[in-house]
Amino acid sequence: MELVEFINATGPRFMAQRFIEEQHMLGWNIPPEHADLVHIHWRNYPAPDNVWHFVMAAVYFILMLLSTSGNGIVIYLFMTTKSLKTPSNLFIFNQALLDLCMMVNMPMLVVNSFYQRVIGWETGCDIYGLFGSISGFGSAMNNAVIAYDRYRTIAFPIDGRLSMGKAFILMCFVWFWALPFSLSPMKSVDLFGKYVPEGFLTTCSFDYLTDDDHTRYFVATIFVWAYVIPLLLIVFFYVQLLGHVRGHERMLKEQAKKMNVKSLVGNQDKEKSAEIRIAKVAILIFCLFLISWTPYATIALTGCFGNRNVITPMFGMLPAVAAKIVSCIDPWIYAINHPRFRAELAKRCPCLITDEKSSSDAQSTGTHATAATEETVS
Amino acid sequence: MERVADLTVNNLASQLEDTSTKPGQDQINSRIFMTSFPGKVTVYLGKRDFIDHLEEVDPIDGVIVVENEYLKGRKVFGQIITTYRYGREEDEVMGVKFSKEMIVDRGQIVPSTNEKPELTVIQEKLLKKLGPNAYPFTFHFPSGAPSSVTLQPGDEDTGKPLGVEHAIKTFVGDSIDEKGHKRSSVALAIKKLQYAPPSRGRRLPSSLVSKGFTFSQGKINLEVTLDREIYYHGEKVAATIVVNNTSRKSVKNIKCYVVQHCEVTMVNSQFSRYVASLETREGCPVTPGAAFTKTFYLVPLASSNKDRRGIALDGHLKDDDVNLASSTLIGEGKCPSEAMGIVISYSLRVKLSCGTLGGELQTDVPFKLMNPDPLLADKDKTNALKKSKSIDRARYENSCYATDDDDNIVFEDFARLRLNEPDE
Repeated sequence: MELVEFINATGPRFMAQRFIEEQHMLGWNIPPEHADLVHIHWRNYPAPDNVWHFVMAAVYFILMLLSTSGNGIVIYLFMTTKSLKTPSNLFIFNQALLDLCMMVNMPMLVVNSFYQRVIGWETGCDIYGLFGSISGFGSAMNNAVIAYDRYRTIAFPIDGRLSMGKAFILMCFVWFWALPFSLSPMKSVDLFGKYVPEGFLTTCSFDYLTDDDHTRYFVATIFVWAYVIPLLLIVFFYVQLLGHVRGHERMLKEQAKKMNVKSLVGNQDKEKSAEIRIAKVAILIFCLFLISWTPYATIALTGCFGNRNVITPMFGMLPAVAAKIVSCIDPWIYAINHPRFRAELAKRCPCLITDEKSSSDAQSTGTHATAATEETVS
Repeated sequence: MERVADLTVNNLASQLEDTSTKPGQDQINSRIFMTSFPGKVTVYLGKRDFIDHLEEVDPIDGVIVVENEYLKGRKVFGQIITTYRYGREEDEVMGVKFSKEMIVDRGQIVPSTNEKPELTVIQEKLLKKLGPNAYPFTFHFPSGAPSSVTLQPGDEDTGKPLGVEHAIKTFVGDSIDEKGHKRSSVALAIKKLQYAPPSRGRRLPSSLVSKGFTFSQGKINLEVTLDREIYYHGEKVAATIVVNNTSRKSVKNIKCYVVQHCEVTMVNSQFSRYVASLETREGCPVTPGAAFTKTFYLVPLASSNKDRRGIALDGHLKDDDVNLASSTLIGEGKCPSEAMGIVISYSLRVKLSCGTLGGELQTDVPFKLMNPDPLLADKDKTNALKKSKSIDRARYENSCYATDDDDNIVFEDFARLRLNEPDE
């Protein structure tokens, strides 16, 4: 009998009871005048432990440092090096700008985590959402534009390169692409959609939980606008690009055969796999895009059209983290592994690229340095 | 390193001075091109330009000197390398490489695999002078090998220019498949060119076009005739234009262009550039019922197209005179689509402007722009053509790299061609 009592007093049921007594539900600290901010869905979950907020703040702090340094280096190099100011690099510069936009949110989240709510209420949420969306929509389209630029340069190496003017127009296009659905959910604009806190209620994004047609249209629209269209473009351009590279390789092989060539220099190892090497890089970029935006797309679509019970606060935080991680990786993929950027960086601060020499030495022939650097990515 | 190279040259030069003063020597003036791996391997070539005569291409004949102590039982191999560069280095992203190298001929030079090689005049001379450590070699371009062409880089372009290049590379090693070690390989850039055929052709290229108008009767007829089929670089292209206007519109002005068409077969792309142009209102307007005849002269020159990106030039080595790329000749019985590398052609384009509503009337007359064969320029020498040895001899006599002093061989050190290898 005593034993049973003891078990009851310390067993799971008791623990659960204690937990409920001490634990607030999500949204407990939102005053009634701002209660509209928090969707009823989140109120069903207990507020996360302080430790979780601390972990989020720590993760974001690290991401912030990575993003600032990586993207900062890219912008700095682009602005100060004349030889890097090429049309193609303009898009890489633009990518860094967009990623820095994303970075602006990170200190906000760190502060939010300490308050365990969004500071600035509606306005804070709008600002947070605005920067996140511009950066997100923008970089999705910018990825497509980079794919287009690479397709032009590689498929038509003689005369395909975009002019600076055209590149600038495309860059503006990216920003215009990002703007409409970033501005429309703002409280002051209030045209289409709405920015609300999500997950731990410390980050903000567009509303995908409100159960009305307006929200569903909005989610469907941005799903197509910021995910499907850029994704299709990226796939289209990289597939075309690979097709052209294959064509070039075939043409060269035919000519070599006609001349009775005994050996294509270097054909044995690296040259042979040019297509595969390019395909690898293309797939890598494609995967990064998927990692970056599929979580958001999934969660928004689930929230809108699916079983929203699976969207726990923890799950709700994941897409934001994924998008932010990718924004830190971008500069490494696009710029710091770009042979020209790399060379310039090595010239300015050799301490940062110490492995450069050894890796290119390992490749022995300087000719293949380009290939080598790109290969390390994949 | 460079200094050592200089010394080698000087030593040789002084040696040669000694021998050249001996009486009874062939009085052939020839310039010898050489490049060396200081003190160890030196390659000598009688010329850098190898001419594609369509049926055959000049053999690449030369002599290599290697010290036996350096060789230590190893062998010397040679390769002819053709490099296609069809995109700028700075555009190489995603691991793409816009250049392809092909070994179009290769073989072992030392020890010689051929017991009794047929030697050309220059090889004999060089062997005689350079002593027991000299070995002759002969390589061949395969038939249809592309000619050397350089696409002029633009202002902002850095890196190697696009085009087709050839080089001869020798290296010391144990097997022909070995990748030549940097330290022991020597490379010289060479060129493969085409000269105009002996006959410039009797046919005068011409074109006749006419244009009608939707809402009015009558036509504007345009006939353009050139005075030759093949022009030499630097010559005036004379285009006789005959305009006959039976329509109710009038011709407002006349534009003439020399168009260079460049087909980069490696990437299946082609583009055209105006290399000479003129616009005139002379005789204009050519009113309804009127006729106009006039000959215009245009001179397509590389010098008037400096710094324009993408103008095709004949392959050239650093200090050479540059001329526009020569038209690509295709051997008889070969289909033009079989041509390789960069294919060049020219046409003269005339545009008549018939006012804003009338539109334009345009026609192209193809012609060829080439260098004359210096050998055939002098008719006395043509008799000597039959014997291959005399061809060579004549060619050297004719190339007339006359120097002031009486040295009959002048050695020129080519800067060692760097094969993308960083200096150690």
